[in-house]
Parts: sequence; structure tokens; C-alpha cells
Amino acid sequence: MTTPQTEHHDGTSDATPGGYDTERRPGELGFALLMLVGSAVLLWSAYGISGFQALSAPGSVPMATTAVMVIAALIVTLKTARLTLVSGETLARDILPGVVLIFLALLVGYALLLKPLGFLPTSALFLTGAIKILGRRGWGFTLGVALGSLVLIWLVFRIVFSVLMPAGIVPEAEFIQFFRTLIGGQG
Amino acid sequence: MDALLAFLTVFTQPELLLLVGLGTFAGVYVGAIPGLSVTMAVSILISFTFSWDVYPAISLMIGIYMGGVYGGSRTAILLNIPGAPSAIATAMDGYPMALRGEAGQAIGVTTVMSFIGGFVGIAALALAAPLVSDFALKFQPRDYMLLAVLGILLVGSLSTGSLVKGIFAGALGIAIGAVGRDPLTFAERFTFDLKLMESGISFIAVMIGMFGVSEALLQLHHVDKKSVRQTIDRIVPSLATVRKHLPLSMQTSTIGVIIGALPGTGGDIAALMAYDHAKRVTKKPSRPFGQGAMEGLVAPETANNAAVGGAFIPMMTLGIPGDAVTAIMIGALFIHGLNPGPMLMIDKPDMFWFIVGALVMANFFMLLFGLTGIKLFTKIVEMPRAVLIPLIMLLSIVGAYAVNNSITDVYWMLGFGVFGYFMRHYGYPLGPVILGVILSRLLDDNWRRAIISEREDLGRFFHGVFTSPLSTVLLVAVVLIFVSQTPLWAHAKARLARKDKA
Repeated sequence: MTTPQTEHHDGTSDATPGGYDTERRPGELGFALLMLVGSAVLLWSAYGISGFQALSAPGSVPMATTAVMVIAALIVTLKTARLTLVSGETLARDILPGVVLIFLALLVGYALLLKPLGFLPTSALFLTGAIKILGRRGWGFTLGVALGSLVLIWLVFRIVFSVLMPAGIVPEAEFIQFFRTLIGGQG
Repeated sequence: MDALLAFLTVFTQPELLLLVGLGTFAGVYVGAIPGLSVTMAVSILISFTFSWDVYPAISLMIGIYMGGVYGGSRTAILLNIPGAPSAIATAMDGYPMALRGEAGQAIGVTTVMSFIGGFVGIAALALAAPLVSDFALKFQPRDYMLLAVLGILLVGSLSTGSLVKGIFAGALGIAIGAVGRDPLTFAERFTFDLKLMESGISFIAVMIGMFGVSEALLQLHHVDKKSVRQTIDRIVPSLATVRKHLPLSMQTSTIGVIIGALPGTGGDIAALMAYDHAKRVTKKPSRPFGQGAMEGLVAPETANNAAVGGAFIPMMTLGIPGDAVTAIMIGALFIHGLNPGPMLMIDKPDMFWFIVGALVMANFFMLLFGLTGIKLFTKIVEMPRAVLIPLIMLLSIVGAYAVNNSITDVYWMLGFGVFGYFMRHYGYPLGPVILGVILSRLLDDNWRRAIISEREDLGRFFHGVFTSPLSTVLLVAVVLIFVSQTPLWAHAKARLARKDKA
């Protein structure tokens, strides 16, 4: 089949997975080993469910699938180990560059703050920080875009999809009630 | 008569019509913007629409699906960046056409061909699904099990990647789906004695992580890429052009339907296979392939839209997803208390005909939006990634949280996002993971039902398999896929070739 090269060799879809056919990327062997160890732990855990009690036991399918995982991971690891490292790529530049790490930190920070601080303040902080880092534009642009899109998202999801996010320190419900009475409806 | 009424539901209810239109419009954008994919959009949407009725929710998703598969072609032609995976093949000849100043023509042909392909797919769905579902009633539990395994294997074997990695991904998905208390015996599985693992891992968190956050993280590598401006004129293609490519489009639509209908494989793979087919059968392309051959546009674009209808066939008749998007839709139907499969087709045929109607409508909307509104589309595609990426991440988090109002789901989502990011870098396909998660229950239940009915006897089980033609065919298919990927097969092929020469 015609094999189009994916941008930067990171897979965008199943039709064109990332990586190289004949070389390995930085960290690929480590990942393969991690998968192997992880699969082995899962297989052990699956064995603990019901052992070899019966073919229809709750542990049978988990044991079979994790056994497949171990075998597949082993083959992948052995194959990967035999390949030569692709030249010109480094882990720090091509797989985990600084910006990715920063965003991972931002995401974890978001998840941690969401409950205590509430959706609106956390998202405002997140969007402002993220757009500032990526866009490298002035504060006017950053704040305008971040807060503007946040208001839009909040309106769409709160009103149209009626999704309830943690309110945190912002009295959201009172806020909506205030506007409802202002418009004149009974709410 | 009931079927006709159900089919017309979407046409008679303005609200549904609007949602399909809105979905298609959004879908074309989602498809056209590199970094936003249909799978991502639909998985995030599940969590937002779960409080809705099932018809409006499905209407929106179908619109996005149809529009998104088409929308990817726009940036593939104009910028040589496929906006969606299904448009990867489109870039190979579309961009050279645009370089020659024929962008308008390329877009026009693409739009009309997507429309034709879409219809072939829908027609195949409407005709084949009722037949398949009658047939599906005869399926034994073991057949479902074999089909599920087959679907997971097909992704790895039909794509250009490695089958072993595909198998690993599929098995991982099944294991993820098994986490929590076993519904039959209440035994704990993979919980590691943690309370929060007992209820299992939300499949929506897995999906949003894998397709939303991991894609957004990946896009961070491409933040600084600038888009190129192109002038577009003359969109609507002449009838002669369409007629000239009709025979090819019918062949490639058929490829699209078949690949779409095979469990697990969808438009992206169909488009690549159709492109290869066009290269093989077109004796005199308008220009050499890769340099702006019209045939190189026709083939993938008909195939990927035909695959949409095709993918619904196994989803509606067997409850086995035809591709990643239908896997997510099955998840959406689960949430609404519906269980896709032959019984749904019998109990609620309305649902099926409604989906067919919505697809038809979405296909018309796609043609409409495709041939008009070009200016608007080029504008939105220029939306800077610096804004887009944070927004996708925010929506992913909101989406993961919204389903169960649980912060744990957000952590799972982020975990799978990072995991998926590495998987993409190292060439592991993500589709089989989702397929595995969705099919885990089905596989487990059917295996246990099958083996219990054979009194725990493997000998009897295989006797059953080999005395049923269907089971035998499925088992042989599974085995063949395995063998075709081993060195043994290449060896045998080489020997055969040598014999032919001698």
C-alpha cells in the first residue's frame, strides 16, 4: 500500500502510525520495555482473579488477553532492540520537548485546582497561561482571546448542554439567577 | 411504512434537521482544521449530549461524522496538510493541483465525489443492514467473539503499521474494559484493591484522552507552522468531469463500503486502499499520479465517505463498530440505554431508519456547505494553533468531568492522553484500544456463554466451531491474518513466485 509519511513521524491515525519501519526513535525501546513489564504485572494480577479454575471463570479472558499482551510486548521489545537508533532525533527535542512538559504540568495543575477553585477561575488561569506560552503575543491579545473564548464555552456548555462544572469560589448559580430575574423571567 | 416514517423523522422535525445541519457544518470545520479530528469531536460530544434525548444527540454526531470525513480534504488540497486522517491520500494529488492554480476545481470534484461516495455508502447500509441483521440472529456467542477478535486484528493488518503493535493495543483495550467488578460473579478484576477502580475505567475518559489530549499534545510540535493563502475560483465541476470519473468512483466507493463495514477499519484505511486501487486500474490518468491526477482525488474521497455508511452496518446489525467513530457512537447509545445489535434492529427499527435518514440529510448538507462558503472555511482554518490547542485541552477536561461529575475520570483521561501521545510517537495504533474497550464486555460475555454451553469442554467448543460454516470462516479469517503477517507467509509467497517463473 502507498505509505504516506506522517508529519514528524508521529502517527495521526491508524492508517499511518508513527515511528519508523527500520529504525527506532529515542525512548522507543524504553517504552517497549515498560509495556512488557506492565503487561507482566497485569498478567500476574489476572492470574490472581481466579487462577486456572475454569474456562468460564471471571479471570479467563483477562488472563488470555494479558498473556497476549506479554507475548506481543516481548516481540515488539526484541524487534525494537535489534533496530538502530534513528540519527538526528533526541528524546528532549523530538519526543518530549519542553513545551510538552510545560503543558503536562499545566494540565495536572488544572486537574488539581478544578475542585477547590472552581471551573471559571481555573480555566481562566489555564487558558491565559497556555495561550501566552504558545502565542507569544501581548497581554491584551492573550487575555482577550482567553477570557472571550472562556465566556463563550461557558455559555454554550452551561446553557445549551447544561453541563455542571464545579462552581468553586464563583457563585455561578446566583449569577445566573440574577440575570434571569434581570431579564424578567421567573427562572 | 413504519420504516419510511422513521426514515423521514429527520426531515419532518425542524429541530433534528437543524442539528444535522449544524453538525455537518461543524464537522466540515473540525475536519478541515488540522489537529481537530472527528473521533476527537465525537468523543468529547458524547459527554456533553448525554443529558439530551437520543435522537438529537445522534443527529449532531452523524452530521459531524459525515462533514468531518469530507472536511479533511480542504486543507489537504490547499495546504498539503490533511485536516483529518481520512484525507491523507487526498493530499498526494490535491496539493499538486492547487499548486497549478486548480484548487477550485480540485475542491469541487472532491465535494461532488464525496457526495457520491456518501450515497453509495448509505445505500449499502439501507440495503445490507436489514439482511445482515436477519442473518445475525443465527450468530452463536462464539461467532460474536470471533468477530470481535477479527475486528481488533484487522486494524493492525490492513494499516501500514505493525500487526504486533496492533494486537498489543487491542489486548490492552480489552484489559482496560475488564477493569472493575465482573458483572457476572462480582469478582474484582485488575482493581489492585483500590476502591476507585471497582467501578471500572470510564470508556469516555479513555477515548477523550486518547483522541483529544494526545492529539493536542502532538500538535504542540507544529505550533509554528504557517498556513498558505490560495486563491480559489470555479468550484462546481462540469457534468462531463463527473461522468468521466463515475466508473472509477463506483469501484472505489465499493472499496470504501467494504473496508468501512469490516469491523474496526474505517475511512482512513479505505482512502489509502482506494488510492492504490486507482493507481492500479487507471491506465491513462489525466496526469501522472502524485502530480495532480484527478483520479487520485476521486478514489480516496469517494472511498472515505462511502466508508461512513459501511461502518454503520456492523455497528447497527451486530453491535460491533465498523471504525473508531462508530465505536464511540456505540458508547453514546450505551449511555442512552440502547444496546446496538440484532435485537435493536428488531425492537427499534425506527432507530435504524432514523440514522439512515440523518445520514442522507448530512450528505446533502455536506454538498451544500462544500460548494458554498469557501471563503469562510479558509478563514477558520487559519485559526492559530496557539489558541486551538489550549481550547481542545480545556474541552477534553470538561468533557471527561461532565459524564460522571468525577475528578477521577479527569485523571484517567489525562493519563491515557499521555499514554496515547507516546503510542502515537512509537507507532502503536490507537483504534484497536478503543475497539478493545468497547468490545471487552461482548467478548468476555460471549466467550463465557459459549464455553458454558459446551460444558467447559474445549474439544466440544472446537467441534461446534468446525461444524458451523460461519464460525469456521471466521476462525479461518483470524488464523489467515496471523499467518499473513509472519515470515512464513512471505517465504511461501516467494517460493510460489519462483515456481511461476520456472
